[in-house]
Amino acid sequence: MPVFSRRNVLLVLLAGALILPWMGNPYTLFVGTLLFIYVLLAVGLNLLVGYAGQLAFANAAMFGIGAYTTGLLQVRLELPFFAAFPCGAVVATLVGLVISLPALRLSGLYLALTTLAFAQATQWVFLHWENVTFGAGGFKTPLISFAPLPVETPTGLYFLSLLLAVLLTLFAWNVAASRIGRAFVAIRDGEVAAESLGIDLLRYKALAFAMSGFYAGVAGGLYSALLNFVAPEGFDLFQMVLHKAMIVVGGLGSVTGSLLGAGILVFLLEALRAFKGTQEIAFGALLLVFVIFLRGGLVSVLKRNARGWEEPLRLPERRARLLARPGTASVPGE
Amino acid sequence: MSLLVVDNVTLRFGGVAALDGVATEIGRGEIRGIIGPNGSGKTTLLNAICGIHRPDAGEIRLDGEKLTGLKPSEIARRGLGRTFQTSQLFRGMTVLENMICGLHRRTTTGLLAAGLRLRSARAEEAETVERARAALDFVGMGAFADRPASALSFGQQRVVEIARTLIGEPKIVLLDEPAVGLSLNRVAEFDALLRRIRDEKGVTLVLVEHVIRLVMEISDRITVLNSGRKIAEGKPVEVRNNPEVIEAYLGKELRARRAAS
Ligand SMILES: Nc1ncnc2c1ncn2[C@@H]1O[C@H](COP(=O)(O)OP(=O)(O)OP(=O)(O)O)[C@@H](O)[C@H]1O
Ligand SMILES: [Mg+2]
Repeated sequence: MPVFSRRNVLLVLLAGALILPWMGNPYTLFVGTLLFIYVLLAVGLNLLVGYAGQLAFANAAMFGIGAYTTGLLQVRLELPFFAAFPCGAVVATLVGLVISLPALRLSGLYLALTTLAFAQATQWVFLHWENVTFGAGGFKTPLISFAPLPVETPTGLYFLSLLLAVLLTLFAWNVAASRIGRAFVAIRDGEVAAESLGIDLLRYKALAFAMSGFYAGVAGGLYSALLNFVAPEGFDLFQMVLHKAMIVVGGLGSVTGSLLGAGILVFLLEALRAFKGTQEIAFGALLLVFVIFLRGGLVSVLKRNARGWEEPLRLPERRARLLARPGTASVPGE
Repeated sequence: MSLLVVDNVTLRFGGVAALDGVATEIGRGEIRGIIGPNGSGKTTLLNAICGIHRPDAGEIRLDGEKLTGLKPSEIARRGLGRTFQTSQLFRGMTVLENMICGLHRRTTTGLLAAGLRLRSARAEEAETVERARAALDFVGMGAFADRPASALSFGQQRVVEIARTLIGEPKIVLLDEPAVGLSLNRVAEFDALLRRIRDEKGVTLVLVEHVIRLVMEISDRITVLNSGRKIAEGKPVEVRNNPEVIEAYLGKELRARRAAS
């Protein structure tokens, strides 16, 4: 295995992330948590857009639904965070499922427009259903507590986000390398051929939408806890462009690419924070440059030039074979 | 009992009947050729059988079970395979990954088992990969397993597409102009491959083909379509000497020549 393989590089980064709370300051802790949240968003969106090829624009809305559900359940019903947070993820998953219904009939531009309209409708609800959502001003969420664990809130949230980002990234990698990931790609590359092989379009489109809803919902719950505040503008079109830019810059149809894209865009986001208004322009331009000049995203450069960055749509063979053998003594000639 | 029954199928696009009361029965283990001039409804017939288009009238049955009204994926799962007039390999996958997709309906790993890489998922995956390699070897494409599908030549893509359909062990496979674009000696190879598929796998084949020589050589029976209607059916020799068939082909050619001059 090459020294700079994906596995080694990511393990080093993970080790760095594990000691960061003792090295950095509150700001780096905040940015770290933000990065893990965006990793979740980018990985989930890439499953839907990059793998399953569904040009959907509802990710920021599902992110918002996760945040609002988690926040409102704490504020309105006084549920503890650790009860409200899973509910947020479940609601976002269900919303993802509902959006997938028109997706079976629509494709390309029509799907893009429909999901965009859904995102705008969600904004409208956040803004105008004031009795529930507190309207344009948003609302503060309670400071979450990790008691009885002996950690302060920011550190606890950092590790919770890290844990979820790592677990759900591994989950996505495994799914991508399974018959489910291949069904997604088959639908992306040719719906008619996919169906002719018995792949049920409705089922797998619904699954892709639900998965991206789940990842966005988890991210939303963490985000509400990170900011202690939920407001409509956190989940607007800019947020959508940000998610899209992450997967395009990192690489469509690559979980690794999602990680790269999230890292680069969170870095830029923070670097440009002082210059309000430049972020939109910078991300729009970045998106355009990659769409035009580097379709495969940064990960395609890595895959071409470095060993150990491949992402086959199946499990690594040698290990899989070894596992299949023991016990199955009936293999002839062995 | 016939394996596939096409029972008076009519299918209209707008006002035009692309299929007009087409009826035929295809027996188990048969190789059936379907020929006819351009636009005569050959592809439409295959699309009606595999569920892409829904007939306006008539019914299609596979092994006695009604297919009409089912989704293409449901029909596929009942044992009907299909290849297309233009290559439909998944371009973002390797040849081997394409092949494994052909086993989709034969595998059961669910989301959690896949995402958690449970032992059952790994075992099923290993088995599918082995079967896919064997199936590639069967069509002589084993050496290409790890190439991107988009790197194959046109003829190779056709062969892999057929292998990908076969690996799911369908009862019947519909092939839409599989030999188009192949050089003549490749056609001969192809002829041998189709026979092996029928003889060794016991698969019934329905073959839409413009390379008349191939169809005549390989088919047990041939169905001739013209303007959406079946105008003849029978053994290759019978069809070849049928005056209506000659007229359908030659008439069209003559008209085309006249229009060109
Ligand atoms: N989706 C469609 N919508 C409208 N008309 C169609 C459609 N598909 C086919 N047709 C029409 O139906 C008729 C039969 O077409 P079909 O593709 O079945 O012919 P074919 O025999 O396969 O021809 P070829 O040899 O050129 O492949 C043609 O007149 C065609 O224009
Ligand atoms: Mg045709």
